[in-house]
Amino acid sequence: MVDSTPVKNSAHTLRLVIVTPELTIFDEPSRFVTLPLFDGQRGVAYGHAPFIGRLGAGEVRIIGVDKTIHRYFVEGGFVEVGPSAVSIVAHRAIRSQNLNAVVAREQKEALLKVSAHGDEAIDARQRAVDAARAKVRAATNDHA
Amino acid sequence: MAKARALDRRRRSVRNIRKITRTMELIATARFKKAMDRSVAARDYTRQLSCMLENIASSGIGVVHPLLEVRPNKRTAVLILTGNRGLCGGYNSNIVRQSLAVLGQWKSEGIGTQVAVSGKKGISSLRFRGIEIADRYTSFDDRPAFDAVEPIGRAYLDGYSAGDFDRLDVVYTKFQSIAKQSAIIETLLPLAPPESTGSDTRLAQVKPEYDFYPSSESILEELLPASFLSRLFKCFLDSAVSEQVARMVAMKAASENAGSLIKDLSRRYNRARQSQITGEIMEILGGVEALKG
Repeated sequence: MVDSTPVKNSAHTLRLVIVTPELTIFDEPSRFVTLPLFDGQRGVAYGHAPFIGRLGAGEVRIIGVDKTIHRYFVEGGFVEVGPSAVSIVAHRAIRSQNLNAVVAREQKEALLKVSAHGDEAIDARQRAVDAARAKVRAATNDHA
Repeated sequence: MAKARALDRRRRSVRNIRKITRTMELIATARFKKAMDRSVAARDYTRQLSCMLENIASSGIGVVHPLLEVRPNKRTAVLILTGNRGLCGGYNSNIVRQSLAVLGQWKSEGIGTQVAVSGKKGISSLRFRGIEIADRYTSFDDRPAFDAVEPIGRAYLDGYSAGDFDRLDVVYTKFQSIAKQSAIIETLLPLAPPESTGSDTRLAQVKPEYDFYPSSESILEELLPASFLSRLFKCFLDSAVSEQVARMVAMKAASENAGSLIKDLSRRYNRARQSQITGEIMEILGGVEALKG
């Protein structure tokens, strides 16, 4: 691939897009992005090998061209990484600073009290609890 | 004087009606713009999803999924999207007509149907025609939210996977342009298979080879339902936009009609008043002549 061997150059930026079913939330050139994939975080900069991945619940951290940090909490979805563009297609996305830590914590506590029976129900509960934990983390993490 | 007064009263009431229709036209125009903006904003999501599907399809792996499988049709689910309110021209009646046609067709082929209707107008029209309605939704107005459409879509996905029905048809008004909206029947399940971007379509663009995390199958497993939900959501958005356009056009026509009616009534009123005055003058003149004699 022509594009997969990039020249090291600070002018090389990623075009980062976050879309949800109702709205395009973010569409700006960026330097770097941390993605919450289904099995952990992954950092992507210009020239990353192209991939399509499934997202889990967690925070997308974007470092803009002017080094400002944007943080969005996404709940499920997909990401398509091309050589110079990253498209995040999320079911839901919200700016992390708009999350309410108290409400997120209450949701997590409520989920922990629910009991599940059967493999599928246990998996679903675990996914919901993991998502709630990620939400609490995103809501309380204010080092941006 | 009785006739002239009656005409005047009628003219006043038509004027009041024109005020109402004119206001409704303005409201529909404002709502149409908002609905249109939402519809445009939602397009990116659908486009990105289909782009990903295309990339997976063109990566050479066989795209196989239960949602893409065409099964022999024994039972069809029909979702009919109408408005909650009238005064929008043929918007609701066109949908009802299309729905009756499709339901009649399935009936003649001996295929069972499971009907769900959104919108009070559709519910009452179809109930009047003796159609059995399994699910009714009346909460969708000019701003359908994805969070409200999602549970309906998930229920359809579950029903389809469980084999409750083998096909889902949505009857809704497709928004093609501000001048053209048409009531159509779209089959959402089974999903149309994603088309791989053939070598001839994007020759100039070199397509990168994608890795998949965790695997292309696992991504498809979630991507296809998401694609279905986004298409269903688009149907709701298109319906909302079309309803506002239909109302706008209907109310504009009503206002114009009221205007010409007022003109006609004014002419008749003036004529009646004039003939009454002429009559009165004749009477006076007749009285004067009688006194002279």
